[in-house]
Amino acid sequence: MSMRSFTSKFFKEELIMKKAKAFLAVAMAATLTVGLTGCGGNADTSAPATADNAGTQAASADNSGAAPAETGAASASDLNIMLETPVQSLDPQQATDGTSFEVIANFTDGLMQMDKDGQAVNALAESYDLSEDGLTYTFHIREDANWSNGTPVTAADFVFAWQRAVDPNVASEYSYMLSDIGQIKNAAEIIAGEADKSELGVTAVDEKTLQVELNVPVSYFLSLMYFPTYYPVNEEFFTSCGDTYATSPETVLSNGAFVLDSYEPAATAFHLTKNNDYYDAANIQLAGLNYQVIQDSQQALMSYQTGALDTTLVNGEQVDQVKDDPEFMAIGAGYLWYVAPNIDAVEELKNLNIRLALTHAINRDSITTDVLKDGSAPTYTAVPMDFAAGPDGSDYSADQTKYADVCSYDADKALEYWNAGLAELGVSEITLDMVVDADDAPQKVAQVLKEQWETTLPGFTVNLVVEPKKQRVEDLQNGNFELGLTRWGPDYADPMTYLGMWITNNSNNYGLWSNAEYDAIIAECTTGDLCTDAQGRWERLYDAEKIVMDEAVIFPLYTQCNAVMMSSKVTGVDFHPVALNRVYKSAVKAE
Amino acid sequence: MDMGNTAAYVPVEADFKLKNNDGTVLIDENFAAQSFWKDVFIRYFKKISAVIGLILILLISVFAVIGPGMNEYTYSGQELSQKNFAPRIIALEKFGIFDGSETMHTTTGSKEINYYVEKGLTDLEYWFGSDNFGRDIWTRTWSGARVSLIIAVAAAIIDMVIGMSYGLISGYFGGRVDMIMQRILEIANGIPRLVIVTLLLLVLQPGMLTIIFALMLTEWVGMSRIARAEMLKLKEQEFVLASRTLGAGNFFIIFKEVLPNIIGPIITQVMFSIPTAIFTEAFLSFVGLGIPVPQCSLGSLISEGFNSFTTHPYQIIPPIVVMALLMLSFNLVADGLREALDPKMKEM
Amino acid sequence: MKKYIGKRVLTSLFTLLAILLVLFILMQLMPGSPFNDEKLNEEQRIALYTKYGLDQPIVVQFFKYVGNMLKGDLGVSYNISKNTPISQLIQTRLPISIRIGGCAVGLGAVVGLILGLIAALKHDTIWDSLATVISVIGVSVPSYVFALALSYNFGFKLGWFPMLFSQQDIFGSSVLPSVSLSMFTMASIARFTRSEMLEVLGSDYMLLAESKGISGAALIFRHALRNALIPIITVLAPLIVDLMTGSLVVEKIFAIPGVGSLLVTAIQSNDYNVVIALSFIYSAMYIGIMLVVDILYGVIDPRIRLAKKGD
Repeated sequence: MSMRSFTSKFFKEELIMKKAKAFLAVAMAATLTVGLTGCGGNADTSAPATADNAGTQAASADNSGAAPAETGAASASDLNIMLETPVQSLDPQQATDGTSFEVIANFTDGLMQMDKDGQAVNALAESYDLSEDGLTYTFHIREDANWSNGTPVTAADFVFAWQRAVDPNVASEYSYMLSDIGQIKNAAEIIAGEADKSELGVTAVDEKTLQVELNVPVSYFLSLMYFPTYYPVNEEFFTSCGDTYATSPETVLSNGAFVLDSYEPAATAFHLTKNNDYYDAANIQLAGLNYQVIQDSQQALMSYQTGALDTTLVNGEQVDQVKDDPEFMAIGAGYLWYVAPNIDAVEELKNLNIRLALTHAINRDSITTDVLKDGSAPTYTAVPMDFAAGPDGSDYSADQTKYADVCSYDADKALEYWNAGLAELGVSEITLDMVVDADDAPQKVAQVLKEQWETTLPGFTVNLVVEPKKQRVEDLQNGNFELGLTRWGPDYADPMTYLGMWITNNSNNYGLWSNAEYDAIIAECTTGDLCTDAQGRWERLYDAEKIVMDEAVIFPLYTQCNAVMMSSKVTGVDFHPVALNRVYKSAVKAE
Repeated sequence: MDMGNTAAYVPVEADFKLKNNDGTVLIDENFAAQSFWKDVFIRYFKKISAVIGLILILLISVFAVIGPGMNEYTYSGQELSQKNFAPRIIALEKFGIFDGSETMHTTTGSKEINYYVEKGLTDLEYWFGSDNFGRDIWTRTWSGARVSLIIAVAAAIIDMVIGMSYGLISGYFGGRVDMIMQRILEIANGIPRLVIVTLLLLVLQPGMLTIIFALMLTEWVGMSRIARAEMLKLKEQEFVLASRTLGAGNFFIIFKEVLPNIIGPIITQVMFSIPTAIFTEAFLSFVGLGIPVPQCSLGSLISEGFNSFTTHPYQIIPPIVVMALLMLSFNLVADGLREALDPKMKEM
Repeated sequence: MKKYIGKRVLTSLFTLLAILLVLFILMQLMPGSPFNDEKLNEEQRIALYTKYGLDQPIVVQFFKYVGNMLKGDLGVSYNISKNTPISQLIQTRLPISIRIGGCAVGLGAVVGLILGLIAALKHDTIWDSLATVISVIGVSVPSYVFALALSYNFGFKLGWFPMLFSQQDIFGSSVLPSVSLSMFTMASIARFTRSEMLEVLGSDYMLLAESKGISGAALIFRHALRNALIPIITVLAPLIVDLMTGSLVVEKIFAIPGVGSLLVTAIQSNDYNVVIALSFIYSAMYIGIMLVVDILYGVIDPRIRLAKKGD
């Protein structure tokens, strides 16, 4: 906002002022001192002061209410964590972003939690029973699970929370986690407004027993239980907060490993302390979590180097600076980055040869090693690596050469496809626009893609259209694009979180591609016969993926990794590509 | 004071020394013999800083035109195998500068790297180094300077036309017209510029024209204020009355009679608004709303180099130096012009 | 005079209302909706529109908003901090921005004044050029580069000041951001002081004062500076508003929870209510300060009052 032209003001004022010589110097002095005393009075001056002074000033600022109640400086065994973006919501049914999920999970437990390998293990649920037909889950909640205000965590808390999640009045963005993905009975109808939320297939049998009814068996249902949309909310407390639920430490309840003790909406710094009443408190080693939002990556790295942070993200440009450091690591983030061609609306992209030419002309290795440098892995499959393990425990996309004949880097082959495509279209030149997020990494990748395409494919011109992310998403959803550089993060640990996107009329099937055979396979694997046959379903999913790759519906680029620095004093932080990106329950920080 | 001493004070010669103004008293210039513009010209070139500013602007403009063509690289051509090469000019190597080596400060200690030597590219030169895509920074800096200059000058000139007309009309007609026009101006000025500019850049296709348009929209207010103030000063003067008596129409008076008399302050204001425009463009680049990649402006180059600030500082230095010089010289030129144009300043 | 002030206040209020309306229309022009997360489907989006009343005609929305605003309710945020009342969101942020902006204005004004004085008193010497160059250099480099350079040298290398804003050390952690922000003010004040001083020094009453035997510091400070300083208010007024409403760049780099970065995030994520609320606060401060300056002039200088009447 400070971009006002001082020069124009300056000149203009001078002209006017020539008329106004007889002005009270007092008035001017007053204005000046406002600026100056404004500092002193508000516990902040730019001139040096004694340490004593600074102390009292800071204290008075705290008392004035401008600053939230702090629990004093972060203690030594607090873990100091850097965040890239502020928390968007601490309401488990409203939150949608990874940062919010991570923080919510710090102070709230669900029925299940993630173990080190991302498998679902008991948390608030002591045990569960599954009916013969796989349609009814009965969870038994721990006796010693309590909220931080002393009331016990009950089955009713889950019922209340889950009903909120599907309530059209709440309009939770992640309601589909209960309907399409969780397949909870009546969820879809309630969301559509065709049924009342009380009809949701979840009931509190008694205070500590929760029963869930599903439409079809869902093989990964337990792993949904650690997803924050499924976390409980205490109704009585929620009502007592009115509209301000989850906007301050006073308006959230904890039943998890930590208690939120300093927070304000969209804060750049906040703090959580260990919850001594947590049922598993004995195994929590950290005294607290100290979060700091830093948007500038260089500041973050410098802060890390001074020891103010225990862990931080590193931008690709700074990897050169830290790559030999033993504290440096690349953490899988799960996101698949890909280029979506608008197959439906763009004549040139309807042509399969052109699409195959584009995907063959991409040198994915060069993008990840020369430009991103953060450990991201080149990807040649429609499902990214390292997030979904099959019935035998192996990664779904471990074999990256599976579709090598239709997706690889091969300039000669690309040229062949290209010339064939041009001949079919009867043109010699193609110009396409590609929409790109205005963020750092996508812009870099897009510039390399443009260069690679234009040098490999003669007569091809790509114009980059850089937009804020929100705008880019909207353009893709409205079909207002030719090529789009986009990404997708997995919601749950199953390939379906990706493959489900390419069915006809899915809102994320940006290119409006449609294939009846593909739709049939996906239906078979979600609600059809294969629901209960894990191995058979797995095989069928590969068939579906092959169709996507053969038709070059998307041009996969890479599976995103984050370059992270983690102090050697810290051990036991669990990283996951799905749902909760970082879990601190077993983290230890050596003194 | 001693009351007893009644003797009158006898002035001595030292009490009556002349004020030190020999410079103005002794020089006898015949102003009548010179035209106003010649006079301005002479006064301007007497001021060294203004002359330096002018030379710098000319120099940068020349490089902005010929710079990108001075080597074989293009502004968008990438060579990923030659990324992050430090500046190297073979002719200067024997002096130990621009030899293509840089010191990397890593978390595990500092090390001296010379990619040219490491990769055996002994004949290769990147005068200002190469960026993280292996693009030549020399070429990009001067193409960036070109883009920035075009944006700034175009925005300032369009600004001038709109702001001036608005201010002149508002000032000339006065009364209700002025009242309404000034309220509109107040509304336009009261909305944070960032909101207007971002909105515009979101609605229109991002690109040079959009940025010029956005800058224009936000900067005309200052110009219109000056034009209005000048108009208020001049409109009661005799020559306006004379013109009106002779049957001149309103717009003839505004643009043919008054305008030539206020061209001085207007030009000065244009000079001041050019650096502002360059700066605003840089700010937009930082917010991610600047010129679309891979095109570049000085602002977008600085934003790009920003992330390498602690790793490869040489990448951000050329665009910063060029931008700083441009800002400085436009300010110096504007200062010089104002002093040269303002008759009151003449005495000093 | 009272009539003049009353009229002035009324027009300002009217202008503010008009600004609010313009903001509303601008929000409608904004491409895209606040609810366009890739995981949302069409039905959910419609549900959200209904929930927040965005499906109603703009006139209805506008009057509802004005009504709520008079009750002190600025609506809730859609994206930045979901469902949070904006008054709560701004409550802690605005004081921080005002504090840091205030320091920057103070610092910039003082240093700028000194530089401007030196330049004027040593007019056309090397000191003059030096002061000019120093004052322009501050604004020749984009503030984000300047901020990072400060942070790198004084925060990281020397460790004198904290690199990031913290509630525990408000004083220390405000130093670097305030200095980064003050550059702009410093430059404008320096240039302004210089030209005003030059004019005052050349005026007849200075000659008179000098001939009366007043000299040295008394001459400069009591007679010259006092008169030269008056116009600075007009330069300072808009700067104060700009700085106090936060700077995106400096806030982003120093991790300051202020309102500047909030506005940019809000614009980019189509968080209408936050954009409107913050813009409106900005406009209100701007128009308010302009009003005060105008009235002060009216009180002090009859010529301006008369000129206004003539309009």
